[in-house]
Amino acid sequence: MLRGVGITKRFGGVTALRNVSFEVGAGELVGLIGPNGSGKSTLFGVISGFHPPDDGTVFFDGRHITGARPHTVAQLGIARTFQIVRPFTGMTVVENVRVGALYGRGERRIAVADRHARELVEFVGLEQRADTLARNLTLAEKKRLEIARALSIQPRVLLLDEVFAGLNPTEVRGAIDLIARIRSQFGVTIIMVEHVLKALMETCERIIVLSYGEKIAEGAPSAIAADPHVISVYLGKTYAAR
Amino acid sequence: MRRGALRSFGLPAPDALIGIGVVLALAAVPLAGPGTYLLGFLFTIFMYGALAGSWNIIGGYAGYLSFGHAAFFGLGAYTTALLLFYSGWSPFLTLPIAGALAALFAALVGYPCLRLRGPYFSLVTLILGLAMYSLTLNLPFTQGASGLFLPFLRVDIYTSHVIFYEIMLGLLTIVTAVLRQITRTKMGVGLTAIREDEDAAGTLGVNATRLKLQAFMLSAFLTGLVGGVYSYYKSYLDPSFVFATSISITIALMALFGGRLAWYGPLVGAVVLSIVNEMLTTQAPPQTARIVFGALLIIVIMFLPDGLISIIQRRLPAFVLRRAKQAAARDEIIGNR
Ligand SMILES: Nc1ncnc2c1ncn2[C@@H]1O[C@H](COP(=O)(O)OP(=O)(O)OP(=O)(O)O)[C@@H](O)[C@H]1O
Ligand SMILES: [Mg+2]
Repeated sequence: MLRGVGITKRFGGVTALRNVSFEVGAGELVGLIGPNGSGKSTLFGVISGFHPPDDGTVFFDGRHITGARPHTVAQLGIARTFQIVRPFTGMTVVENVRVGALYGRGERRIAVADRHARELVEFVGLEQRADTLARNLTLAEKKRLEIARALSIQPRVLLLDEVFAGLNPTEVRGAIDLIARIRSQFGVTIIMVEHVLKALMETCERIIVLSYGEKIAEGAPSAIAADPHVISVYLGKTYAAR
Repeated sequence: MRRGALRSFGLPAPDALIGIGVVLALAAVPLAGPGTYLLGFLFTIFMYGALAGSWNIIGGYAGYLSFGHAAFFGLGAYTTALLLFYSGWSPFLTLPIAGALAALFAALVGYPCLRLRGPYFSLVTLILGLAMYSLTLNLPFTQGASGLFLPFLRVDIYTSHVIFYEIMLGLLTIVTAVLRQITRTKMGVGLTAIREDEDAAGTLGVNATRLKLQAFMLSAFLTGLVGGVYSYYKSYLDPSFVFATSISITIALMALFGGRLAWYGPLVGAVVLSIVNEMLTTQAPPQTARIVFGALLIIVIMFLPDGLISIIQRRLPAFVLRRAKQAAARDEIIGNR
């Protein structure tokens, strides 16, 4: 469904991604891990059209989407969340979600978009905060809003960038539940970047590991956890740092 | 759904009713036989209200602060004047042409400029206004710095004041209605998203490039129309006025001062600042007037970033808000059926 071939992305002198290829099938839940600065967010940026790659190709449903602009990618059905949440702070929760309901699905009527938005706000458990300005939400609520907003465009692929980061264990539980419900209700394909490994291990079918912009491993969670290379570059480092 | 539809088509919303009432009352003012001074002053207020409102579509709603709207104003004024001067066409023809040319010009300059964000956009639009001024001075057919003299309407001065008063009131009404309508449609939602966070808007499917261009063109179109009416009114066009940077700045400040988030904000700003300006320039020594005016603007912009109207909105009695919420909730329930 989503496929990247030989993606390279440089920022000035920094090569954030080097010849990365990947493939994700319909309905899959794939984890993307790697140490800080290994290029995970950049890969999302490349897929979603924010960072046109210097080399390589992205295919969505067999269609070439490399270099397409973000709104086009969104309208095709690929949604992303931002690692650092970016709600429209001056809008209420429902107003935030309404934007995608109007522009992502090509709805014209505000009333209809509002209804979709309220349903999604309820789905992510923010109904009590529906008419609150987004700037007044807690971090956990902002992350939920970020997810509701991504869902508002009726995506077929969902790119989640560290939606667990900064949450306490209870909130992480809630977020894991939410992702399970998203899969069962919407059947979307998900790629998620996460540092909370335990959460990834128990939810993902497959994990891709990046290090210094290169893909160094890919496989079932159990295999990844046992891979000596992964342990040395990834687990070793982060655990040592903590 | 039913109820919502009823409210937006059958029965106008309360704010629209109030607006219609005010317009009708203002339209009747000439019946009371006010002097030309008052008519002229109200004309100026209406004109700045229409300009600030037009500006607000791109500067307020989309958050792209243009400091070059005099370019569109002047372009509209000169288009009309030149057509009148050389061809003698009817205003019903020249005014739409003036607006269309301003919109076309906005499309040409907006395409590259609207890629710039924040202060860079503002700076480029500022330069744009200056460039249009120099261009007018040097083109062969604009009569340069000496300006253009136009034929007067063939009616007495008082009647002509009344006519222009009514025309500008009509234009102000159109601009304000457009401004209000935008907040109630998809376009307004998209522009607000762009103002809040253009990248995030993109991930939600908003084609910011196109939407900004549309907003810029609409804004320029309306500004060009106002410029066109102004040139008929003035019957003498001075390039150093119609392309003046001070016009660009004044209309931007009026919108910011009144409040750029609501449709009536720029209008409030234009009314208040026009009155303050008139009082200061007639009552106080010229230099004090400018200083007081400037200080007032700084204070309001620093302490009321959402403009003067945010005071009124904050003071709205709680029960009004509660009732609005209940009404929204009721629509929701009915809509869900
Ligand atoms: N917009 C940018 N401009 C310049 N350099 C960038 C940009 N975005 C990312 N980089 C660089 O690219 C590299 C990869 O960054 P990226 O954000 O993709 O890492 P990441 O794996 O998401 O890290 P983290 O776990 O910290 O989120 C880093 O060296 C980073 O400094
Ligand atoms: Mg990242």
